[in-house]
Amino acid sequence: MLPLSLLNAAQNKPMMVELKNGETFNGHLVNCDNFMNITLREVYQTSSDGEHFWKLKECYIRGSTIKYLRVPDALLDAVKDEQNRARDAGRGGRGGFVGGNRGRGAPGYRGGRGGRGGPMRGGRGRGRGG
Amino acid sequence: MDSLIPFTTSGSLVDCVDRKMLVVLRDGRKLHGVLRSYDQFANLVLEDTVERIYHAGAFAEKWHGLFLIRGENVVLLGEIDLDLEDDVPIGQQVEWVALEPYHKTDVETKKQREDAKAQILYDKKGFCKEGGEGDGY
Repeated sequence: MLPLSLLNAAQNKPMMVELKNGETFNGHLVNCDNFMNITLREVYQTSSDGEHFWKLKECYIRGSTIKYLRVPDALLDAVKDEQNRARDAGRGGRGGFVGGNRGRGAPGYRGGRGGRGGPMRGGRGRGRGG
Repeated sequence: MDSLIPFTTSGSLVDCVDRKMLVVLRDGRKLHGVLRSYDQFANLVLEDTVERIYHAGAFAEKWHGLFLIRGENVVLLGEIDLDLEDDVPIGQQVEWVALEPYHKTDVETKKQREDAKAQILYDKKGFCKEGGEGDGY
């Protein structure tokens, strides 16, 4: 589960975004892209000194200004379950097209988390060396 | 590690996945958590994250939970040895609310010192101005 996939999966979930300048934004994620640009709705903005607050209906944040995002703890488990379900459904082998699409998702998942193990590491090393 | 050239950059983080890590951010914050994922920019996913502050032989922790850190804000990422962690004399744990004011004062004092130093270097030693946009680390 790559960081940006996690962000994608956090759509419609509440989150707290802190910018590099210390300002924070609390709201629900509407959308995001691969630059980490995000849009939030029902936002509470807090100044960096924590003394000023604003309420915004919707806001757009450029990815490059972000320091970090805090997302719900349950999200990681939810995403894992969802991926397992998708993989199992893919194994059931219904449609070639849909199955193929899911099949592409599954190795990425395994590579991301299982990468710390031996197989992938050895595999990549050999690939580059040759 | 000679044969593992691709693992010299963020690829070398494979070994750190699912380990307890210390992350120091550019703003000086110290986060402890379990590294669950990363990518080519060293964006990090930290689970069960706590923030720690220190002051005069005491420390305090604040629970944060699941973090997604943008890689460019990371100064340092280090694995915590779970066996040795308990032996490190870091002092006594106290309440966050009790320690936070002292920590804030420390940060402010340090900032003023650095500013004064930079000003002297600029005025008398011919150094350039530091700390503008995009001039961190």
